Amino acid sequence: MSTPDAAPAVEAIGLVKEFERGRRTALQRLRRELDRRERFRAVDGVDLRVERGEIFGVLGPNGAGKTTTMKMLATLLEPTAGSARLLGLDVVTQAREVRRRMGTVLSDGRSLYWKLTARENLEYFAALYHVPAAGQRDRIERVLASVKLADRADDYVERFSTGMRQRLVLARALLPDPELLLLDEPTVGLDPQSSRDLRDRVHELKEQGRTVLLTTHYMEEADQLCDRIAIVDHGRVVALDTPAGLKRTVEAAEVVRLEVAADEGPAPVNGALLRRLERAGQVAHSERRDDVLAVTVHSRSARDFVPAAFDAARAEGATIRHVEVVPVSLEDVFISLTGRALRE
Amino acid sequence: MSATTLAGDLRAFGAAALKEWRLLRRYPSLLVGFLFWPIALPLAYVFQARGFAGDSQAALDAFAQRAGTTEVAGFLFLGWAAYMWISMVLWGPGTALRTEQVRGSLEALFMTPVSRLVILFGPVLSQVVWAVWMFSIVAATMTLVFGVELAVASALRALAVIFIAVPALYGLGALFAAVVLRFGEVSALVQGVRGLFTVFCGMSFPIAVLPEWGRAVALALPPTYLIGDLRHVLLSGAGLVELIPDLAILLSLGLLLCGLAVVAFRRTERYARRGGSLAQY
Repeated sequence: MSTPDAAPAVEAIGLVKEFERGRRTALQRLRRELDRRERFRAVDGVDLRVERGEIFGVLGPNGAGKTTTMKMLATLLEPTAGSARLLGLDVVTQAREVRRRMGTVLSDGRSLYWKLTARENLEYFAALYHVPAAGQRDRIERVLASVKLADRADDYVERFSTGMRQRLVLARALLPDPELLLLDEPTVGLDPQSSRDLRDRVHELKEQGRTVLLTTHYMEEADQLCDRIAIVDHGRVVALDTPAGLKRTVEAAEVVRLEVAADEGPAPVNGALLRRLERAGQVAHSERRDDVLAVTVHSRSARDFVPAAFDAARAEGATIRHVEVVPVSLEDVFISLTGRALRE
Repeated sequence: MSATTLAGDLRAFGAAALKEWRLLRRYPSLLVGFLFWPIALPLAYVFQARGFAGDSQAALDAFAQRAGTTEVAGFLFLGWAAYMWISMVLWGPGTALRTEQVRGSLEALFMTPVSRLVILFGPVLSQVVWAVWMFSIVAATMTLVFGVELAVASALRALAVIFIAVPALYGLGALFAAVVLRFGEVSALVQGVRGLFTVFCGMSFPIAVLPEWGRAVALALPPTYLIGDLRHVLLSGAGLVELIPDLAILLSLGLLLCGLAVVAFRRTERYARRGGSLAQY
């Protein structure tokens, strides 16, 4: 890695990306007809500053604009407006230099050559990253070892599990010995063991002094991995802080999750119950799941709230089937900010 | 561009060719299949010529007058060998890009600092192996089956002609690649151009039989020079010096097409970056 300088690892200012919906035919172009396609903003003025050496997470639901933001930073998409600098370099005008100094993992497991071995894949990309021929062999051994694939180096990728493939993609991103890594949904589609494995590798990257910018829609992942998190929704950053700082924005000591069912028949519980619960705590979210109403309540004291909730249910002819008291999570932060759950 | 970057790009060219060759090796049946067509296709035309003209000396004389050689089999084999090579080169860069796009690896390639020319032409280098394989089969068939004499000096001159034709053909291939990246599909255009070449470039007949306007079209198309000059050096024993005007035109067309291809590819890449179509398939 080269010596760090003063510029932040990532600095995005007012980043915007618009796409057109629908298509414009060749005939319309030839006739120079007015472009009537609808335009929509996938990213709507994102500001980010990632300091060197930190793991920074971008957390948001699917369609929030995370991948589009990452692709603009990775020089794959041109911003419609705003600017972004990686390691002090502009992603549009200095794109080639940016590519030389960062490694990227996109959430697409198809990006490997399945009919080549892991080593052959890395040999090819090492040449594309201009890894000097003299050090190429050692570099490949090192990155394979760092993702725990050294013993499978000469197996065809088609024989790898999804988790192994994702680790190989991470190894590929490490080939240029980058100061900065962009990881877009790195654990999506992985089983719990593989996800844990990959998160361990990301921690090691930080220990090596690298900066990691990752996107995820898994709140636990963001919570466990990241030094700071930007929560995005509808293409905008709606909050940005450390995980603990974000959780402090929820005015509750505990979160109580209830499942309530009507005493007779599968009829859903009416709004009167929610109003009663609201008197004892703050109802952050509610949704019907089959014949029960799932309610999330932010409470200063679960010890006080839970008996009050049972009383409220009884008064409305309903029964609480399940009670769970959990600490405040990033999911609760997202709910308090947007009124929606991350998975919605 | 620094010397280190240039050296890195050149090494990447080799790596791209090696990668394609490794992928090809995983499907050895392709190589066997390729043994068949370079012989079967021209052979059908040789038999057709015999069917039409038989052993008629008058027919042979008429052919020699228009084609400049009496080697009917050699004439046809060379024409079709060139055609097959041209087809490969036309499809090559576009197909390689499209395959990367469908495979999902195109974005990974575009995130590396390597020159776009490597992405465009690197995989096509492996087709040199196919071209050598095909021309070797054709040469063996011409010599062993039809008794066409191929001198080493003529073969070297033919290699020089092929080398000079490379920019023109790869320039065309790169233009098609730009179309692929823009529209995701190119087969209709390639089929059209191949049809144009088949009719006007004299794959299976001397262009002297074309009407005057047809000959004018032929002289604007690079394959006409490639095919004509290959026949001149291999069948008529012509030297390179007498072909200098032809070769100069071929080289000029090549440089023009390469320049156009680079501009078109850059514009298309920009379009893809704006619309996000690199990952679409």
